[in-house]
Amino acid sequence: MARGVHLTDHRNKGWFIVTRNGQLVHATGLSRTYTVGRREIPALRGVDFSINRGEFVVLLGPSGAGKTTTLNLVGGLDRPTGGSLSVAGEVVADGSVHAKESRLNALRREHLGFVFAEFHLLPTLSALENVQVPLIWADESGRDRAEALLCRVGLGHRLTHRPDELSGGEMQRVALARALINQPALLLADEPTANLDTNTRDEIFGLLRELSDEGLAILFATHDHELAERGDTVLRLSDGVIVHD
Amino acid sequence: MSLTRLAIKSLLLRPARTLLTIVSVAASVAVLFSLLSFNSGYQEGLQKQMQQMGVHLMVVPIGCPYEAASLVLEGGEIENYLNESVAEEIAGMEGVAIAAPSLMHAIVRPEDGRTDIYLGVDEKHLELKNWWRLNDGEKPGPGLLSEDDAVLLGWDAALIEKREAIGERIWVPEIESEFSVTGILEPTGTQDDGFFYVPLRTAQEQFGLEGKITAVQVRLTDPSMAAEVADALDARFAGVEIIRMEELLGSMTALMDSARALIFAIVAVVIAISGVGVLNTMLMSVFERTREIGVLRATGAGRLHIFSLVWTETLALTVIGGVTGLGLAAVAARGVEAVIKRFVPMAPQEAMTRFDPHAALICVLAILGVGLVAGIYPSLRAAQIRTIEALRSE
Repeated sequence: MARGVHLTDHRNKGWFIVTRNGQLVHATGLSRTYTVGRREIPALRGVDFSINRGEFVVLLGPSGAGKTTTLNLVGGLDRPTGGSLSVAGEVVADGSVHAKESRLNALRREHLGFVFAEFHLLPTLSALENVQVPLIWADESGRDRAEALLCRVGLGHRLTHRPDELSGGEMQRVALARALINQPALLLADEPTANLDTNTRDEIFGLLRELSDEGLAILFATHDHELAERGDTVLRLSDGVIVHD
Repeated sequence: MSLTRLAIKSLLLRPARTLLTIVSVAASVAVLFSLLSFNSGYQEGLQKQMQQMGVHLMVVPIGCPYEAASLVLEGGEIENYLNESVAEEIAGMEGVAIAAPSLMHAIVRPEDGRTDIYLGVDEKHLELKNWWRLNDGEKPGPGLLSEDDAVLLGWDAALIEKREAIGERIWVPEIESEFSVTGILEPTGTQDDGFFYVPLRTAQEQFGLEGKITAVQVRLTDPSMAAEVADALDARFAGVEIIRMEELLGSMTALMDSARALIFAIVAVVIAISGVGVLNTMLMSVFERTREIGVLRATGAGRLHIFSLVWTETLALTVIGGVTGLGLAAVAARGVEAVIKRFVPMAPQEAMTRFDPHAALICVLAILGVGLVAGIYPSLRAAQIRTIEALRSE
């Protein structure tokens, strides 16, 4: 794997985010209940957790435990129905008070990165162009940074390849580079190794581990116990609550 | 990477659908541009041709005056005739500079796919057409039609007959007569180029119409007196139609305006349909790319960014189609003109369609308007997509 670029060379912005209590993410009594017809379905029921800078936090639990809901709330893609949540200094929710959508968009644009199980690359764009997409919203070009990141994830020779010309592991590396292009403080990873073979899974996880060691905070959702053991902190979710051993 | 580049790349996701939409936009713009260009060229060309005639009034046998005028101008057989004396009387009237009689006769040769128009004229006709020049640069004099078997050829008539030299003979089997070429006219860009000019007396004898003429073309000493002279002619002669050329021009223009209004209404419908096509294409694209839109939102795009992206795609689609349409229209202008000329009255000989920047601007603005309007609804739909639902969608 190419190591020419150190993450900290180009993500100083993420390093110096200081919250009131010194934590990057702080959630208290975080809840999310969905209403389907007349039924109320609680997906997350008053969870408390925090994430520090550079911490590798694993959300472990079976399907339906509330992992994706947690990631969506932290990422500002969804709004909690109860509790308080602050992310990178932004109060996302405090009881019934929620941050404006424009603030949440800015939060994602400036401080957060996402990777998904299904890569979600744009099929008509090259690897390099896919990585540059988040910069469009910030009116930046960042071609050099995108190239450097692709080299960092081992795809320096695949810059002009489109997703249909890449393997699953390569696509996930492109998705990872895309998530890092805005120099985030926190990476939200929703089962990013779920569709990969064991070797590729270990490579991607190893890469994430390196990034965390360099100071990137990661919230990693998985149902894989073996992977969970390799995180700094494991939050075991079951039926929308955090269970302790 | 820019928003515009992303928009254009997104159009490549379904290349066949994008291409079809561009073709539909291009076709409607090409039609609109061709019509706009042709319309202005037609009016200018018609006016120029009328002015070049040097004729202010035309006296023809009673009937549809405009049909008669059209036949005289374009070449055709008029069934009714005037007595030759009418021309002499008109020549003596106040305000008349020249009264040139003519007898038109068509010889149809279906086996050759041609119709030869023989026009019996006298020296007054040459006086009337004082801008005519022979192919040697000389002005045609009255001596050219002094011999009974003389024929003066228009430029196109000479080409058709393959005659180049003075003194060459033309045998006309239909009337069992032979003519001697006394001159070939330089091209005028009007219907005159296609005629065979023979002495009036000869035409009357050969076609069995002694003492008859089909029209008297009149030049006035003062063109502004056309209405007064026309009234005087009308009062003096029974069984004739007096056509003021300025009226004829106005009538032709009015006729063209009516046809144009109808055609533009049809083009408006075509453009509206292409606009609906663009809207449909973009709406399908938005539905198909729901998850992609969710991903873009996750990477920090706001609703306005998504709206702008889809709107830019729509504009790109219509602008590419519009420019393609303008290019097509420019390339195919002559072909379109040939088709349109078949359907409009008294189409001038010269080329009428040309690249008109004003017409091009109208087309670009029209298609931009279509793109802007057609893009609003799909863009709003895209902007309203909820991120987490989009990410869950297949």
